[in-house]
Amino acid sequence: MTPAHAAGSLAALLLVAAGPAGRDPPRPPPPVLATADGRLVATVELGSAFPSDLQKRLSNGLTNVIAIYVALVAERGGTPAALYGREIDVLYDVWEERYDVKVKDPASPAGRSQVFASFEALRAFLARAGGVELGPVEQLGAGRWVTQTRLELNPVSHELLERTREFIANPGAGGRGGTPSRSVLGAFASYLLRSADAGADVHELRSRPFTAREVAAR
Amino acid sequence: MKLPRLRPSLFELKIAGALVLAAMVPLAAALWLARTLTAENLAMALNPRVVERLETTPALYGDLFQARKQLYAEQARALLRQLPADPERWPAYLALAVERTPRLRRAAVVDATGAVLAEAEATQPNAEGEWRPAPARVAIPPRRALPSGAVLECTFAVEARFFAELSEARDLAEVYHSAEALRADIQRSYVRAFAGLLGAWALAAGLLGALLARRTTRRLSDLVRAVRELARGDLSVQVDPGRARDEVAALAHAFNRMVKEVKESRDRIVYLEKISGWQEVARRLAHEIKNPLTPIQLAFQQLEARYAAAPLPDPAFARLLADAGEIVREEVGTLQRLVQEFSEFAKLPEVRPEQSELGDFVEEFVRTNPQLAAEAELQVARGGACPVSLDRALMRRALTNLVRNAIEASQPERAHVHLGICRMRDRAVLTVADEGPGIPEELRERIFDPYFTTRHEGTGLGLAIVKKIVLQHGGEIAAGAHPGGGATFAISLPLEEGVPPSSQPPG
Repeated sequence: MTPAHAAGSLAALLLVAAGPAGRDPPRPPPPVLATADGRLVATVELGSAFPSDLQKRLSNGLTNVIAIYVALVAERGGTPAALYGREIDVLYDVWEERYDVKVKDPASPAGRSQVFASFEALRAFLARAGGVELGPVEQLGAGRWVTQTRLELNPVSHELLERTREFIANPGAGGRGGTPSRSVLGAFASYLLRSADAGADVHELRSRPFTAREVAAR
Repeated sequence: MKLPRLRPSLFELKIAGALVLAAMVPLAAALWLARTLTAENLAMALNPRVVERLETTPALYGDLFQARKQLYAEQARALLRQLPADPERWPAYLALAVERTPRLRRAAVVDATGAVLAEAEATQPNAEGEWRPAPARVAIPPRRALPSGAVLECTFAVEARFFAELSEARDLAEVYHSAEALRADIQRSYVRAFAGLLGAWALAAGLLGALLARRTTRRLSDLVRAVRELARGDLSVQVDPGRARDEVAALAHAFNRMVKEVKESRDRIVYLEKISGWQEVARRLAHEIKNPLTPIQLAFQQLEARYAAAPLPDPAFARLLADAGEIVREEVGTLQRLVQEFSEFAKLPEVRPEQSELGDFVEEFVRTNPQLAAEAELQVARGGACPVSLDRALMRRALTNLVRNAIEASQPERAHVHLGICRMRDRAVLTVADEGPGIPEELRERIFDPYFTTRHEGTGLGLAIVKKIVLQHGGEIAAGAHPGGGATFAISLPLEEGVPPSSQPPG
């Protein structure tokens, strides 16, 4: 498991810890559940979680990060039976006028690239998080389950955190790379700056309950 | 064992603690200042308006690119409008267009199948340096007598630096955005880093101070240890004053001097007590031996007188009596001399010192003892004034004993006795050296003990008397070797600076 995935798991645990007793999240459509090779694969609808100014934000020419964490939890709560994390980097290329997307998930830890010529196509891609693998179907048993989804818009990613730490340690060097640190205090401060911030734009979604029979029916 | 040295003493710990405390006291104020400064700097560097402007930079480049694309499209359309109808003239026209149109790197007429019908490309380097291609395609209307679908393809140059600048601006904006989001964490990290560094420096200062102080504290610890050993009665203890010239070194020197003086005083007292004991023994012996000598002598004289008055003397008996008389008188005489020496030793008077010049005293001694000068070559060497406090009579006796000792040690040769007077620091030193066989090193301590002698006819009291007299003067005496052979006795006496010597005439 990569650090990003570990962080995803942690975030999922956090969102599970909040539990069903937390604030009442918006109810998205139920996940589309299917099986593949005996494993539960979900497609989560995220459209309702995106803000109305998403196009403006994703078209600003900066790298926007969308982190998605999905947990399979018994309806009554408890420890997640499965966790899934996906990070999507969206960069609008102002020259080519297109959206370059890089998706990192357990299926492709190094990331796979996709290009979207229009925002509509990108939104459609983002609104449906497919291929979310939630472990073997047998674990569902006869119980009732829900999927809890945590969506973070532009969290401080580990890569960005590393760049920020480098920037603090070597403020004269600027962005990526740069020369060795010239600031002892900055280097020490950057060493102490180790935690990533999820940011303020966090959305949590909880599906309606479902059973193994519903999965089979689909 | 070296280990105890590694363990810091309480004094060292206190000094180190004081240094660390002194270094740490400003820490609270410095931390508050660091927190304030960090907050203010971050507020200035991560001003939301600055971050916001930075984030809009890529969009500005987008607008720039958009404007360039529109410009290039318009220029392509303008070229198309003037495109000659005759295809034969297209190459020249396109070449002229490439030459005259800014940033146009290539122009080509391409038919619907993609085949290039005419083409011109810039041969000169781009005037604005590295560039990236910006294509602009314009469809050629069918009125040009061309198959439908032909296009005029233009490739314009866009400065590559725009893309580098865009990338850098994006990186910077993203980092600033991240830093702005992490502002509280960054501030906390800076304050912690500052506190950590300050604490480390304070600790280092304390350790360095303790290490530097240790050179002094260790000497103080040594002094404390030495004082404890001294209190336990060890008078041989000394401390190393080190190479420093400070108060601790002066204290160490004073301590060493004090211990040495205490040891000398104790040795002096012990010796004098021992001598007193021996004097008492000598007094009793003299008394016990002296009393029967006179009756023995008188009785034998009566025996001789009675026999001399006898009417019929027996020659053999007369001879026997004469021999016996000679033996008795000789042995009684020996015993009387022994008694005399014992008595003199037992009756050594108290010292009555008077101010004298040691050199004058020695020269006077030589001058007034012609019998010694007759028996030996006496040489006097003076080195500087040596005012001392002397009981002249007692010191004459001591000097006589030493010179007599030198003369006897040199026999049967005529003795050469060297009398030297000099001053060493705060002491006047009188040396009596001979050129005899010398004193074995292992005997040099014992020769001052009463009744210790290496000569058959000696009583072993001469040097004991000398030492007692010297000690009574507050001085010391030591036996050594004379350079070139022989023995040396060195008497050191305290100098009496500032006190004029007595004007007693020699005699």
